[in-house]
Amino acid sequence: MSATPSPAIGLDGVSVRYGSRRALQEVTLGVEPGEFVALAGPNGSGKTTLLRVLLGFLAPDSGRATLLGDDLRDLPIRERARRVAWVPQEESPRDDVPILDYVLYGRYAHLGPLEAESPHDRAVAIAALASVGLADRAGDGILSISGGERQRAILARALAQEAPVLLLDEPTTHLDIGHQLDLLERVQALSREQGVTVIAALHDLNLAARFADRIVVLSRGRVHADGSAAVVLSEELLARVWGVAADLRRDPRSGAPYLLPHRNLPAGGSPPVPPAAGPIHVLGGGGSASPALRLLADQGFELTAGALHLLDSDSETAEALGVPAAIEVPFAPLGEEARGRNRGLLTAARAIVVAPFAVGPTNVANLEDLLPFAGRVPILVLPRPAGSRWDFTPGEASALVDRLRAQPGVEECPLPRVPERLRTLLAPPGADRSARTATA
Amino acid sequence: MALVLLFSPLVGSVAIDPVRVLAIVLSGGGALFNPCAGAGPSCALDVIAVWQGRVPEVLLAVLAGAALGVSGGALQGIFRNPLADPYLLGISTGGTLGASLVFVLNVGEADADLVLPLLAFLGSILTGVAILAVARGRYGSVETLLLTGVALNAFLSSILTVVLLYNPIGSIQVTFWLLGGLGGATWPRDGIAFGGILIAGTLIATYGREIDLLQLGNEVAQSAGVDARAVRNRVLFLASLTTAIAVAFTGVIGFVGLAAPHAVRRVAGPDYRIVLPGAAVVGAAFLVAARDLSYLAFPATVLPIGIFTSLAGAPFFFYLLYRRRQSTTMGGA
Repeated sequence: MSATPSPAIGLDGVSVRYGSRRALQEVTLGVEPGEFVALAGPNGSGKTTLLRVLLGFLAPDSGRATLLGDDLRDLPIRERARRVAWVPQEESPRDDVPILDYVLYGRYAHLGPLEAESPHDRAVAIAALASVGLADRAGDGILSISGGERQRAILARALAQEAPVLLLDEPTTHLDIGHQLDLLERVQALSREQGVTVIAALHDLNLAARFADRIVVLSRGRVHADGSAAVVLSEELLARVWGVAADLRRDPRSGAPYLLPHRNLPAGGSPPVPPAAGPIHVLGGGGSASPALRLLADQGFELTAGALHLLDSDSETAEALGVPAAIEVPFAPLGEEARGRNRGLLTAARAIVVAPFAVGPTNVANLEDLLPFAGRVPILVLPRPAGSRWDFTPGEASALVDRLRAQPGVEECPLPRVPERLRTLLAPPGADRSARTATA
Repeated sequence: MALVLLFSPLVGSVAIDPVRVLAIVLSGGGALFNPCAGAGPSCALDVIAVWQGRVPEVLLAVLAGAALGVSGGALQGIFRNPLADPYLLGISTGGTLGASLVFVLNVGEADADLVLPLLAFLGSILTGVAILAVARGRYGSVETLLLTGVALNAFLSSILTVVLLYNPIGSIQVTFWLLGGLGGATWPRDGIAFGGILIAGTLIATYGREIDLLQLGNEVAQSAGVDARAVRNRVLFLASLTTAIAVAFTGVIGFVGLAAPHAVRRVAGPDYRIVLPGAAVVGAAFLVAARDLSYLAFPATVLPIGIFTSLAGAPFFFYLLYRRRQSTTMGGA
């Protein structure tokens, strides 16, 4: 805006309390003109409070908040509105006013007392509508358009304020994925092409990583991390701030990092897994083992899997969960290398879970290799759905299964009861009773 | 409107030759020319009946109707509630309680003319101020205000009931007052009402744009530059004042404040810059029309006009209510 290098937004040691709860603690943050900053953090981390401070709705209990170099407290409300505009999470218009009139509400701060909108104001409003792709809908009622269009109309209302700073509070919450991308693309364009400074609270870290220049992560009212997506996003961050386990990947097209969350980390009170229980080996294929892999991973068991074919959905599940597995190339019979690795995993296993996988010539070796382990470690066989055909060999597989069932230490166990059964089987002899009561 | 004003004095509680009435009105009660030139001695009495009776009555109807219309519209706006009306917050009950004191205290007939409007006004405005005190405090959310008004209304009503229970004679008069009437109209009273309602009502109407923005929610309005709390409190004060003046001179006249803003919205849309002045005009016209119709329907009686507005207003309100179900012009309650 001007030659003076004052940041668009400055927070200097800002703290806010709600009663005894500290919503923001000593937050210091500078945002340069034209930057697109995403605010991230779990619910209650202070994102909305921070936005409310910047909007002047809340006065900091201590510290200083500045807008284009001036203390927010010194700015009259209309001047504030000329400097910062707001798109809330949800705005529920009461009346079906034409969209153009709705956007003209944004011109209020530019009008004198009792002054009606001038042709210039109308031109600004029409330009704002055009920039969100609603120019041809100016005469439609705000309640008669779709939710995605309405959120764009609301963005246009904020843009009509012609404020150099735009704040958005979870603007995509009520939008489907297509409209989420559309809205954020438009906001990004505003920041890049018109130099609008944007601060957006975004729940979705992947959207934040994709669109924002910078991500500020809040946790318990403090700035936990601040920087570009590449710097800020990590599996460790998600675990520490959100308590969520996730895999960090990279979008092959945009190169942007994205997180694939897969489960909540156990929080203190989950049932204990016996110490040094050792791995549980899961035999499966064709997706039959995926439910067991997910359930046991969630419960904290150390797992291995095999032998699976690459691109099989069980092998993808294993990969996503970080479960080591013996893998063969697609559609080929299990080769010696994969079988060897599978036998290695079977040898290391403290217990074996057999998923109800379909058996054909390519994977019948799985059953052959399993048989010698019967009686050495507990084997839990998951029941097959009644009536489904699973044996695609000339009777070979059925015979192997019958032999397996006849062995000692082999029992059928429905999936929901598997974790508890494993804990009981693997508990050290003396701890048997206490392990039972702990899981009851 | 001008025609309504001109022809309304034609009707009244006693029959007077319409031509003579028009002459009296056009002559300004004899100030411009002598309307009784060549007429019999009864004409002088007619001049008094028209100029001191009917004309002030019509003007009071205009003023009170406008006051109720504009404050009803403004309150519907700041509370974002289509059911809000000028009496919502107990302002009328406060006024009635004030008025009842006149009958309880046995104020003499001569003094009552002055004391009754004064006490009614004080009762109304004190109620408004009490609400405003809550509004300015930390518990001043719209919902809290509405509930406070409802509770205050119930509280004042119960006090009123106790007062009336122990003053059976006063209760008849209060009941009559409670139904509203234009019978107390005089030129001096019209003058006071005109001054107060014109100023406060005009001030209310200047908040049209702010009330438009408040419809988007307090915080959105604030982010767009409207000092939401200040606007709400000022409009609340002005609407209380306007209503208190009307209540002081006419008693409680129902449905005008509720229906007039809705009628304007249906025709002219939701823009409060139009709804507020429009509701004043429609409210005035409605009350004058109600006065005329009540005289036409029940000649030679003085029917409390509040009965008539409610009789006509309630069906109209049902119509609005069930029309809204079908359209989306206004969401929520």
